[in-house]
Amino acid sequence: MFLEQLSGNLVQGVVLGSVYGMATMGLSLIFGVLKVVNVGHGAFVMVGAFVALFFFNTLGLNPIFAIPAAFAVGIALGLTFYYAAIRKLLHAPELATLLATFSAGVLLEETIKMIFGSEFRGYNWDVGNIDLVFTALPMSKILAALGSVLIAVLLYVWFKRTRAGSAMRSVVEDSQGARVCGINVDGVYAMSFALGIGLTVASGVLLTMFIPVGINPYMGGGYTLKAFVIAVLGGLSSPYGAFFGGLVFGLIENTSYTVFALIPGVEPFALTRFLSFLILLIILLIRPTGIIKAK
Amino acid sequence: MLTVQALESGYGAMQVLWHPELEIEKGSITSLLGPNGAGKSTLLETILGSVRPWGGQVLYENRDITFLSSHRKVEMGLALVPEGKHLFPNMTVYENLLMGAYLKKAYEHREESLDIVYTLFPRLKERSRQMAGLLSGGEQQMTTIGRALMTKPRLMMLDEPSQGLAPKLAAEVFETIEKLKSDIGLTILLVEQNADASLGAADYAYIMHEGKIKASGTPDEIKASREIREAFLGV
Repeated sequence: MFLEQLSGNLVQGVVLGSVYGMATMGLSLIFGVLKVVNVGHGAFVMVGAFVALFFFNTLGLNPIFAIPAAFAVGIALGLTFYYAAIRKLLHAPELATLLATFSAGVLLEETIKMIFGSEFRGYNWDVGNIDLVFTALPMSKILAALGSVLIAVLLYVWFKRTRAGSAMRSVVEDSQGARVCGINVDGVYAMSFALGIGLTVASGVLLTMFIPVGINPYMGGGYTLKAFVIAVLGGLSSPYGAFFGGLVFGLIENTSYTVFALIPGVEPFALTRFLSFLILLIILLIRPTGIIKAK
Repeated sequence: MLTVQALESGYGAMQVLWHPELEIEKGSITSLLGPNGAGKSTLLETILGSVRPWGGQVLYENRDITFLSSHRKVEMGLALVPEGKHLFPNMTVYENLLMGAYLKKAYEHREESLDIVYTLFPRLKERSRQMAGLLSGGEQQMTTIGRALMTKPRLMMLDEPSQGLAPKLAAEVFETIEKLKSDIGLTILLVEQNADASLGAADYAYIMHEGKIKASGTPDEIKASREIREAFLGV
């Protein structure tokens, strides 16, 4: 019985983990290229969740269509935010970009609250279940996981095979070197920031498959914290590292949930959050460059 | 080919360039000498635009390019071999060179540019599959010059290319620079600490001090002036 539950949780962990991974790629991309920590990360995830909600409840459309829409919303938000604030702060002390991204998050939360209100909402996209021997998984979650893997692969190919991708890689490696090659470094910064926010907002759509009634303007905070743990697991500046960091994190969260649930008198969900920060602390102490070797 | 007039720039509130004036003849090697902190690197960076000019003028092939962005200037044939190399350490030598041909026109000519680079530095052809971060200092400097050549430049600015190299390798760098002029027909602006070697290769030289041009002349004139040597070159 316990083993069955554990293997069920492993599968659930991989499924959730791949979505977590995808939800952290944007954060790592922005940090890798611009060395800016997006403290407002979770708020952009939240915007994506509301895009999904709007598509499903108001337009009556399948959440799959909400993914490209959320990506486009993210690109637009990212470009606006980059040119309005980040660009001028790149050479300022780090605190400036931390405050800017933090306040962008607050601005988004309050704007969404004004439009949609602050109550918890949700939607139920029922596309059936898949029955494994030891566990049943909603098809919507499986699709979210597949979508995450697909997006991660597309990003990888884009990085390795396109001109814009190679410009971005060169800026990550040495921005001055990129500049003397004739690369428009400021343009690459803008593009990376927009792409990072686009991915983050799109990930918000995928995450809604896991929170049937958890959509709320203030839902992002938890995701910001998780994303930091995942990004550090993956070496902080590599989007692929982040993806695998997400897988590991999903597994840890789900497995520990099962184990904690066996302990009488504790609230397992709260303990999983404690555990994730314990992990963050340990990694930062022993291997601050991340446990997955970033390439 | 390149005229710098009353250029001003700096970092933050600190002004580094105080109206240096210089003129670079097409097809020549111009040496820019001066003590550490004279603003030589800043001058090159300001010409390229990676440090933003505050005022003054940069004329390139009779066009005012002062405030154009760096990538536009690279496109027009201005190349910088920066101090400290700035290679892409996790890319191979070949990938580094190819990044030099990033812009459209340079990309169209990448095969012939690559031939030129490999003829100049046969060593790079042997090392083409190696990660740039694992090369020796001399090989890295070749790669940096090669990458700059891949942009199809007409004017190449080199910032301390012999820095940190053993005397024999440094001498090779100066030979290379003379070849860039004679075989490929580039115009060169060379910043160096190594005054003797630099003057040996140059057609004309400028002495920079505290953000200004303090003296100029042919290498023979500079060498003949005890005053200049003692005041600015410390030799």
